[in-house]
Amino acid sequence: MRSRVREFDSSTLNESVQNTIMRDLKAVGKKFMHVLYPRKSNTLLRDWDLWGPLILCVTLALMLQRGSVDSEKDGGPQFAEVFVIVWFGAVTITLNSKLLGGNISFFQSLCVLGYCILPLTVAMLVCRLVLLAELGPINFMVRFFVVIVMFAWSIVASTAFLADSQPPNRKALAVYPVFLFYFVISWMILTFTPQ
Amino acid sequence: MPSKQDSNDDTEDVALFDAEEETTNRPKKSKIRHPVASFFHLFFRVSAIIVYLLCELFSSSFIACMVTIILLLSCDFWAVKNVTGRLMVGLRWWNHIDEDGKSHWVFESRKASSQESKTVSEAESRIFWLGLIACPVLWVVFAFSALFSFRVKWLAVVIMGVVLQGANLYGYIRCKVGSRKNLTSMATSYLGKQFLRQTTGDDQPS
Repeated sequence: MRSRVREFDSSTLNESVQNTIMRDLKAVGKKFMHVLYPRKSNTLLRDWDLWGPLILCVTLALMLQRGSVDSEKDGGPQFAEVFVIVWFGAVTITLNSKLLGGNISFFQSLCVLGYCILPLTVAMLVCRLVLLAELGPINFMVRFFVVIVMFAWSIVASTAFLADSQPPNRKALAVYPVFLFYFVISWMILTFTPQ
Repeated sequence: MPSKQDSNDDTEDVALFDAEEETTNRPKKSKIRHPVASFFHLFFRVSAIIVYLLCELFSSSFIACMVTIILLLSCDFWAVKNVTGRLMVGLRWWNHIDEDGKSHWVFESRKASSQESKTVSEAESRIFWLGLIACPVLWVVFAFSALFSFRVKWLAVVIMGVVLQGANLYGYIRCKVGSRKNLTSMATSYLGKQFLRQTTGDDQPS
């Protein structure tokens, strides 16, 4: 299993712009695929990037807007709130994992946590579509079911990558903040109602 | 009589602030070789700042402004880190994680070559460093103003601006300084040279 080493000579210095764009886009796409079909893969963690988490965070924050965009009360605080919760939560989990003696770098952990928000973003999309129908207990049950499934998917995907970096007796200690993090996001998604 | 002590310094000493360069085997042209890259280098940074300052005029929606600034800052970070640094000044930095899971930060600079097309143009270099240094300073000013005028809802965006642009600034300064010297020895050698120039200038009658 070879790691992808970028040559340390002028080959990446002189590649064309299009090559750079395609290379980065492919890396982002590959990571999304890995979240959808999680399996242990060390090579994925090595090329971290934070573009996926940024896109997902902005999408999630946009979808969690209450009220129409044209109204006087702009959804500003809620947008910033989602951003702060996601990034601050991810940083806290990373610090916790490093303090427990984990063998993962800061940005790798942020990368994994950010990419594993993808199932919950899909859940948000589905919930918004379901909310277009009439509200009621059935509506709520459908949304509840979708959110629970996606929450479990996020947890499985992220622990597949993160748990290996911890010594065996510390795995639960490192994993429970991840559980809390995705629980808070799932709660925000489930309790969302457009005005 | 020009002093010869400059040529005694090791030739890898790239000066950050000197207008006259010691290494004369690197001919500098003053024409801009990559106009598109130069344009984009400044375009994203300056438009992010303009949107931030004039957001009330553009749109009444805070969200639209915030998302626009975030997108501009991200595009600027990617463009400066991956494209304009390479093309305009021949520097690049990235993070590399090896087999053991340890992360290494790599700072790469193009060696001075004899090929004409690969030399660094002085005008481009000026544009690059000007844009790279001025904008994070402005974002830091905005951060303090947002904090003290209690426009706290903008603080998230401003902090993002400071972090992203500051990261590029730090990365490129490390690339420029090179792996052998660190920043403090670089600064002391620069100050030492200036001091020496002044004292020898005082001793010798002009």
